[in-house]
Amino acid sequence: MKFEREGRTGLLFLLPLLLTVLLFIAVPVAGTIYDSFFRDVTFLPQQFLGLENYRVLLVDHVFFQSLGFTLLFALASVPLEVVMGLLFALILNRPLPVRGLLRAAILVPWAIPAAVSGRVFELIYNFSYGLANYLVLAFGLSDQPVNWLGTSYGAFAALVFADAWRTTPFVAIILLAGLVVLPEDLYRQATIDGASSLQQFLRVTLPLLKPVLIVALLFRTIDALRIFDVIYVITAGGPGGSTNALSLYSYQYFLSGDFGYGATISVVLFAIALLLAILYVRVSGFGKEPT
Amino acid sequence: MRTSALKSLLTLGGVLFLLLFCLFPFGYMVLTGLAERPDFLRRQQRLSFTLDHFRDILTTPSLHFLDYLRNSLVVSFVSAACAVAIAALAAYALTRLRIPGKRPLLFGILAISLFPQVSLVSYLFKLMIGLGWINTYPALIFPYIAWTLPLTLWILVSYFAQIPLDLDRAARVDGCSLLQILRRVILPVAAPGIFSTFLLAFIFAFNEFLFALMLTTDYQARTIPVGIALFQGLHGEIPWGLIMAASVFTTLPVVAVALFFQRRIVQGLTRGAVKG
Repeated sequence: MKFEREGRTGLLFLLPLLLTVLLFIAVPVAGTIYDSFFRDVTFLPQQFLGLENYRVLLVDHVFFQSLGFTLLFALASVPLEVVMGLLFALILNRPLPVRGLLRAAILVPWAIPAAVSGRVFELIYNFSYGLANYLVLAFGLSDQPVNWLGTSYGAFAALVFADAWRTTPFVAIILLAGLVVLPEDLYRQATIDGASSLQQFLRVTLPLLKPVLIVALLFRTIDALRIFDVIYVITAGGPGGSTNALSLYSYQYFLSGDFGYGATISVVLFAIALLLAILYVRVSGFGKEPT
Repeated sequence: MRTSALKSLLTLGGVLFLLLFCLFPFGYMVLTGLAERPDFLRRQQRLSFTLDHFRDILTTPSLHFLDYLRNSLVVSFVSAACAVAIAALAAYALTRLRIPGKRPLLFGILAISLFPQVSLVSYLFKLMIGLGWINTYPALIFPYIAWTLPLTLWILVSYFAQIPLDLDRAARVDGCSLLQILRRVILPVAAPGIFSTFLLAFIFAFNEFLFALMLTTDYQARTIPVGIALFQGLHGEIPWGLIMAASVFTTLPVVAVALFFQRRIVQGLTRGAVKG
C-alpha cells in the first residue's frame, strides 16, 4: 500500500523530466527517422518513398566522402586527446603549489564556446598573417608558409589540433578523477619493491585507470563523430568538401529545404552514435548501482 | 638525487606546456583585439595598440553584440535554472522512493545525451515553425532544458545519494511531506552540489551552437556563439579586431568563473562522467 503510493508520487516527481525529454528529444528523433522515409522538400508535396532515400545514400559518393572524413577525424583526434589528457591529468595530480591555477587554466578551453575558439583558430591558421605560419617560419619548420585551410591535408590537421585543444581538458579532468581515487598503498608497496616511476605507471596506474580510460575514449569518440561547430566555423566543410563531416552534410540539406534526405543522413549518424552509446553502457556496467 | 632533480625538471616542463597549450589562443585573442591591425605578425608590420575595437563592439548598435549577449544570458540562465529544478525533483524521487525501472531510466537518459544534435534539429525546426516560436527565446529554452537534463540529472543523483536517509526519516517523523523534505532538508544540504550543477548547465547552454544556428534568425534571439560565428562586419573584409574584442568580452566572464569555481566545476564534471 505504502509502496504503491510512493510509486505514484515518484512518477509525479519524474513527470516534468519525462515530458521534457519526450517532447524535445524522443519525439524529434522519432520524427527525423519518420522523415527519412519521405520526400520532404519545401514547396513540394510530401511523398512516401519507403527506403528510396537510403538507396540513394548508398550510391552517393559525397556521403561516403563525408563518412570517411568523419571516421578519420575521430580516429586521429580521439587518441591524441586521450594521450594528452592523460599527460595533463598526471601533471594535475602532482602535489604542486600551483594546482588550483592549473585546474582553472585547463578549464578555459573547455568553457569557451567552440564557435568562439573556432574563430580564433580560423585567424591562427590565416595563410598570410596567422600565428601558425608565423611559428612555422620562425622555427624554420618550413621555408614556405603552410596553406592550412586551403588544402585538404592542412585543413584536416588544423581541425584535429583545434578540436584537441578544446577537448583535451575534458579528458584530463575525467582521468584526474580516476587517478585521485587510486590507493596510495599500492604505490608505497611498489616503491618498496624497487619499481621505478615508469614501471609504476605502466604496471599500476594504467591497468587501474583502464575503466576510466574506456569511458573517456567512448565519450570522446561519440562526440568527435557528431562534430559540427568547430568545422562549421573554421573550414565550413572545405576545401572542396574534404572536411564535410556528416553533421554538416546533413545540415546543408536542411538548409536547402530537403528535410527527407537530410534526415536520412542524420539517421545514419544517429545509428552509429547509438551503437557506441550501447557499447558505452555495457562497458561502464549496466548492472552496477548508478550511485 | 639526480633522478629527483630530473623529475622536477620534467614536471616544470609539463606545467609550462600545459599552461601554454591551454592559454595561448586566449592570449592571441586578447592581443588581436587590442592590436590596431590583425596582421601584426607580418614581417614588415609593427604591433600598435588601440582600444577602438573594444569600444566599438560595445557602442555600435548595428553590430548587435549586446543583444547577442543579453539573449545568451537570458536563455542560458532560464534553461539552466529549469533543468536543475526538473532534475532535482527527479533525482529526489530516484534516490529516495521505490520506483520500478530506475536503472533503465537513468541509463536511457544518459544514452540520450549521446545522440547527435543534428538528428533532432530538423524536427525541432519544424516544431518551432508550427508553434510560431522561431527566433524567440522559448525556441531555444525548451530544447536546452531537455539537452542539459541528462547531465544535471546524473550529477544531482550522485549528490543526493550521499545525503544520509536519516535526515529524511527525521523530517518525516516531524510530519513533513515529500516536497517539504526536498525543499527544507535535501536542497539546503545539497546546495553546493546544486550550484555546481547549475554552473555546468549554464555553460552547456551558453556554448550550444547548432540549435541556436537553426532556430534563430536575427539579433532578437540569436546567441553569442552564433553571433560571433556569423560575424562578417559591414565592409566585406573580416573584422578580426572586432571579432576578437567580442570574443574577449564573452570569454572573460567564463574565465573568471573557471578561476573562482574550478573546484566546483571539476567536481561536477567528474561526477557527471565517471560515476556513469
